[in-house]
Amino acid sequence: MKRVSVGIIGLGRVGKIHLHNALHLENVNLVAVADTSRKSRYFAAKLGVNKQYSDYQELIQDPEIDCVLICLPTFLHAKSAIEAAKHGKHVFVEKPLARNVEEGKCILAEFSKNSQKIMIGYPLLFEPSFRKMKRQLDSGRFGDVVISCATNISSGPFGHSTSNSIPQPVPSWWFNKDLTGGGALMDLGSHMINLLCWYFGGEIDDVDAVLGHRYNLDFEDYGLVRIRFGTGTLGLVNFGWFSQATEIKVEIFGTVGNQCVRKKSEGALPTKIIQILKGDVNKSSGHYNELKYFVDCIRHNLNPYPSVRQGLRDLEIISLAYKNQVQ
Amino acid sequence: MKKAVKDSLDLIGFRFDRKTEKLVLKPNMCYYWDHSTGMTTDPKFVAAVVDVIRECLSQDVEISIVESDASAMKCRYSFKILGYEKMAKEKNVSLVNLTLDRKENVEVKVDNRSYEFEIPDTIRNSDLLLNIPKIKYMAGVKISCALKNIFGCNPYPKKFRYHSDLDRVIVALNKAMKSDLCIVDGIVVNGEYPTKLGLIMASEDPVAVDSMAAEIAGINPKHVRHVMLAQMEGIGKMACKNVGENLEYFIERFPQKNAKKEARKVILSFGAAMLEKLHSVFSVI
Repeated sequence: MKRVSVGIIGLGRVGKIHLHNALHLENVNLVAVADTSRKSRYFAAKLGVNKQYSDYQELIQDPEIDCVLICLPTFLHAKSAIEAAKHGKHVFVEKPLARNVEEGKCILAEFSKNSQKIMIGYPLLFEPSFRKMKRQLDSGRFGDVVISCATNISSGPFGHSTSNSIPQPVPSWWFNKDLTGGGALMDLGSHMINLLCWYFGGEIDDVDAVLGHRYNLDFEDYGLVRIRFGTGTLGLVNFGWFSQATEIKVEIFGTVGNQCVRKKSEGALPTKIIQILKGDVNKSSGHYNELKYFVDCIRHNLNPYPSVRQGLRDLEIISLAYKNQVQ
Repeated sequence: MKKAVKDSLDLIGFRFDRKTEKLVLKPNMCYYWDHSTGMTTDPKFVAAVVDVIRECLSQDVEISIVESDASAMKCRYSFKILGYEKMAKEKNVSLVNLTLDRKENVEVKVDNRSYEFEIPDTIRNSDLLLNIPKIKYMAGVKISCALKNIFGCNPYPKKFRYHSDLDRVIVALNKAMKSDLCIVDGIVVNGEYPTKLGLIMASEDPVAVDSMAAEIAGINPKHVRHVMLAQMEGIGKMACKNVGENLEYFIERFPQKNAKKEARKVILSFGAAMLEKLHSVFSVI
């Protein structure tokens, strides 16, 4: 079976993670990258990517490419995904699917017309600890889950840890709500909403939220979203950009048992050095496994999960959270 | 907080010149780090300083809070994120991004080297430059307090260009823009980690302030190059008299940086960066 020819659009932080992973996946032939930054294109060239485009539309039109990974700012997701579908490409698009429900529906409409596959990048679904919890939940290990708390707290895009000595500039689009579609709820909350929906099913009875603005911006930087699932589980999503300490975890409180699982840290510096020395990538990471899975779906003609419908459902929940704010 | 600021000025016997009309306040804004990390001056502290100034002088004095863009920080966002925009509105003071200000070139000599900087008009035309720094450990210069805070008055945004010669550049900028009064926000400080120290320190001499700050942080001030150099260049004197609380109280509580651990971390980070570079080179080969 032939390898899948891939092109990556956008070489920001996540784009570079996919670049490294794509170079290490045996069924992937990384054909091209597209980025407006010459430095980023040079970076990809040094790693052996033969074609580098400054305009992503040229990459989308490249006949050699089967599948594009869209790692662009959120405001470009819908436009680029739809254009890629029109050119017959399979699409992997980073979360959130789009800025709002309307854009999400346009993507769904385009992909409903043809057989191209689309997957939304939610790497937590491919983290071993969260996958194990899904298996345990499905087996009835915890009984009926009454309450589940999903937490995603970090320093967000505006402030990496003070322990790293050189601060990195923040791309200006992060400060513009019209370009992001929202704040920390869109960025971090979407991960946990998607994870809870995977655990407890997509039927939603009720959604509301308390949103906070510690940093005086016109979008939320922390908050709590309450989701009442059709299964009866009460989900609480706790997210924020305010902390120097990163915490990504899910707590389950069931009639039989309780459980708390955390995302494993990327590893201490010596581990990273060993990884670099071996010229390797972290093969247990969510990012590596989600790409491997999507490529397998293309090769074996399977429908990937989470797809555009799940991405759209997440946007609908987010939209309800913005609408039903508890003051 | 207002009372504590007032008390600190009374302790050093500072009196505002009644003729003062235009004051520039320079807090420390570093990236978009929240004041609770000890990395940036708390806007509530600056608000207390504004209240004291108005009480001592008049409600009509012109107060500007200044900062400049840096390699990774833009004032248009930091003023908002760090709470200065809100505070400026409440206190009716102006916020000035020095990078966008009109400027004039000035040449200064430090250690027989010449440096040329653009000095913003807001600072040139002020009657009093009030320096409101933090006390922070900083790799490279060891202590960041009053002298280092003036580095942020340099309007040139790509500040990393100065990092290889930071000690001399800090001193040169302090020669070009001399602080008339320093009031240190040591309520939360940052060493190995942030700690509520509850310290307010005031002096007209930034070298004395930094010398004290170094002692509090467990660093011999004589080992801090920019402090020594600032004294040699006549900016101030390291020898000073403590007229407030016992220094030992603060020294005991300051979260001193473990220098060995820090050095190991720097070496490991550097090693990892080098390996990453080598790895990409070999990937091409």
